[in-house]
Amino acid sequence: MDRIVVTGIGVISAIGHSVAENHAALVLGKTGIIKGGGNFPSRYSGLLPFGEVLTGTEELKEKLGVTEPGVTRTSLLALHAFNEAIADARLTPNQLTATDTALVGATTVGGMCLTDELYANTHGDTEHIEYVKSYDYASVNLHIQTRYGITGVVNTLNTACSSSANAIMYGCRLIKNGLANRVIVGGADSLAKFTVNGFNALRILSDEACAPFDQNRKGLNLGEGAAFLVLEKQADAAGKKIYAVVSGYGNANDAYHPSSLSPEGDGPYLAMKYALDNACLSPTAIDFINAHGTGTENNDEVESRAMLCLFDTLPDFASTKGFTGHTLGAASAIEAVYSVLNIDRQELYPNLNFNVPITDIGLEPVLLNRAATITHVMSNSFGFGGNCTSLIFSKA
Amino acid sequence: MMKLYIYKTTCISPQQTFGENIDIETLRPSVDNKLYAIEPAYPQFKGNALRRMSKSTRIGSGAALPLLADAVQPNGIIIGTQVSGMEENGKFLNQIIEYNEDMLTPGSFVQGTPNTISSQIALISNNKNYNLTHVHRGLAFENAVIDAAMLLNENPDSRYLLGGVDEISFNNYTLDTLAGWFKKEDCLNSDMYRSTTDGSLSGEAAAMFMVGNDKQNAIAQLKAITTIHSADVDVIKARIKRFIEENLAEGEQPDLLLTGENGDKRSLPFYTSCDSLFDKHTTIARFKHMCGEYPTASSFALWLACNFVSGVLTMPQHMIKRKGEASSFKNILIYNTHKVGQHSCMLVRLPK
Amino acid sequence: METTELKEKLKVQIIQFLNLTDLTPADIKDDEPLFGDGLGLDSIDSLELIVLLKREYGINIQDPKEGRKVLVDVNTMATYIEQNGQK
Repeated sequence: MDRIVVTGIGVISAIGHSVAENHAALVLGKTGIIKGGGNFPSRYSGLLPFGEVLTGTEELKEKLGVTEPGVTRTSLLALHAFNEAIADARLTPNQLTATDTALVGATTVGGMCLTDELYANTHGDTEHIEYVKSYDYASVNLHIQTRYGITGVVNTLNTACSSSANAIMYGCRLIKNGLANRVIVGGADSLAKFTVNGFNALRILSDEACAPFDQNRKGLNLGEGAAFLVLEKQADAAGKKIYAVVSGYGNANDAYHPSSLSPEGDGPYLAMKYALDNACLSPTAIDFINAHGTGTENNDEVESRAMLCLFDTLPDFASTKGFTGHTLGAASAIEAVYSVLNIDRQELYPNLNFNVPITDIGLEPVLLNRAATITHVMSNSFGFGGNCTSLIFSKA
Repeated sequence: MMKLYIYKTTCISPQQTFGENIDIETLRPSVDNKLYAIEPAYPQFKGNALRRMSKSTRIGSGAALPLLADAVQPNGIIIGTQVSGMEENGKFLNQIIEYNEDMLTPGSFVQGTPNTISSQIALISNNKNYNLTHVHRGLAFENAVIDAAMLLNENPDSRYLLGGVDEISFNNYTLDTLAGWFKKEDCLNSDMYRSTTDGSLSGEAAAMFMVGNDKQNAIAQLKAITTIHSADVDVIKARIKRFIEENLAEGEQPDLLLTGENGDKRSLPFYTSCDSLFDKHTTIARFKHMCGEYPTASSFALWLACNFVSGVLTMPQHMIKRKGEASSFKNILIYNTHKVGQHSCMLVRLPK
Repeated sequence: METTELKEKLKVQIIQFLNLTDLTPADIKDDEPLFGDGLGLDSIDSLELIVLLKREYGINIQDPKEGRKVLVDVNTMATYIEQNGQK
């Protein structure tokens, strides 16, 4: 079976509106997490740090040439990243509309970023109904499908924080099973009162910039953004830039609790192990792990233990959520793009805000940007409902 | 080529489709334009566990349990859903506005996520295997089927739990009615096919399937599936025709055409056009007067098809639109649409 | 309010707030542990009870860990409310 390669990438996040801008910030160690960016109207805007995309919704619409009604901020972020990815992969209009081109995206918010409008529509407002057809998760991908006339498989996934990792995995499997020859995979989420208040009710939001793997971490920061990757068979990618190979993936369930990981970390451990088995690699082959590393007490401790259980010698690892915040449905896709950059540029990006290792675990992530010899990168995502997925990217 | 066999299937729905005394002869009526699921008692869920479950999680888990009673765990759990957990989501969204984002209770936030069904099933059966939730609106279940088919291709000799679940919630019903997808005037399910207005009736159900790629002990085979996105009647007609030509012998027609006709005048042209493809051999029947319209309704149709093809159930009169000459249902074509634009075909037959 | 009255009111509120439809106030003893063995509530319940204390009694517990020290049983909850309640 032909290898599956990444031929195009696109990303928008708190640290930039393009791959180039994101990369520049990663290299400089410049975070995008701030209080009060101005685009997210909420009681918590000036109180809690967020990874906001610093472009208003109306401006996004204008830049993207979106004039039709009912297009949500989540859809706009997705479209922006999608456009960059397909241009990067030099996909032609004919290829986009071909029946062997698939689109697999993920979101956990969809149109529910419009909390106030949704409340109004369900409490008597029958006049302002611009968004009544866009509140669901599928509205994001359906908008892209309609805009580009995509006729191949289109799918939307939602497994909380591992959603877009599963989208990437699913896209690979569509190619391997002969249901597509090229897939555009990724995810998007916008900041929403829905998720901000949900995570706040669970008391896992930090009032400071998140500090993944630090002993004194206080929780996560929410962020927004989108990322897409174009995956093709290597044989079809002649003449194109090949960023990396998607060499393995693994999906497992922690089966412990709806919103926290088990102390043993079975879900994370198994997802990583299945990915290694799928890639026919041993743990020693991994040069770097882009960790889930949200900055919550539960995740970072469990993730650390699971990594230590699997790797006799733990490779370099870091969480990039200190740059972007936790972008939920977009997280794994954004981090996949960063993992692909690790390989393409042969360098590592730091885990921000780290000072003291977790007591009794003692792990220290990568703290500074530096050049490195990278052949295999593992990228992990562990979500609510115990949905855990691990991806492995390799040098072509 | 797809190899997907179904060994067992269960369904909790607005009709008497679950438990010891399945009876689909008697059509239970809709109430207030809605078809609510008949929920069984859930003796396996202790009181404390039930309170944490949204309706979708209850009916999804409840329908899954009989299939999980075997000693061997499925190698994965794959669920298609769009609006599961919306009642819980609605409660949480209301809190956000009503308490102006002040301290809120997290229970309904956690219970409202769509992956709660597959996760809860994993939790109660301690299943740490593959676990995925597809949410692509009217093709959520079809994508779950395709996922299961790919898994069986990748992992022969495996078993997967596959399901389609959706619930009626105040929010979803209100929004979809505003958007014109549910009827604004009173309409009984027994009258819905005679309606000449927009919209359908709202429904909910959970249909679960244990699937594998070994025909031994299978009650039915899902031979082929296709999904189409189009609003053009001619395009759809041509695609259905091609689907049949590719998957049945030359000149062969399905014994039964089971359609998702739903009383919405906007989707009627697609169903009329599909009906016209088949001659007097094919019986044409409809199912949405039994379960209502919801994004994963095709899973209810698949439950019916498995039961008809295996002879477990006989088709009741109230389903028949046009009686055909086929003496039995050895192969069944399911054609379904959701809203306008999403279409699917599934071909179900006796295991071969 | 008398302490006994407060405890009975608390039991009704706990049942309603946490949707413990299987239980009546008589089923909850004053000194029965709310978490672990006893009522068997979990971490999400403890967050919900903190919200109950805020909405019904005006008590603001910021740190969930502090909350667990208060939410041992109906007795400790009642004592805390008597000492800190605003309503």
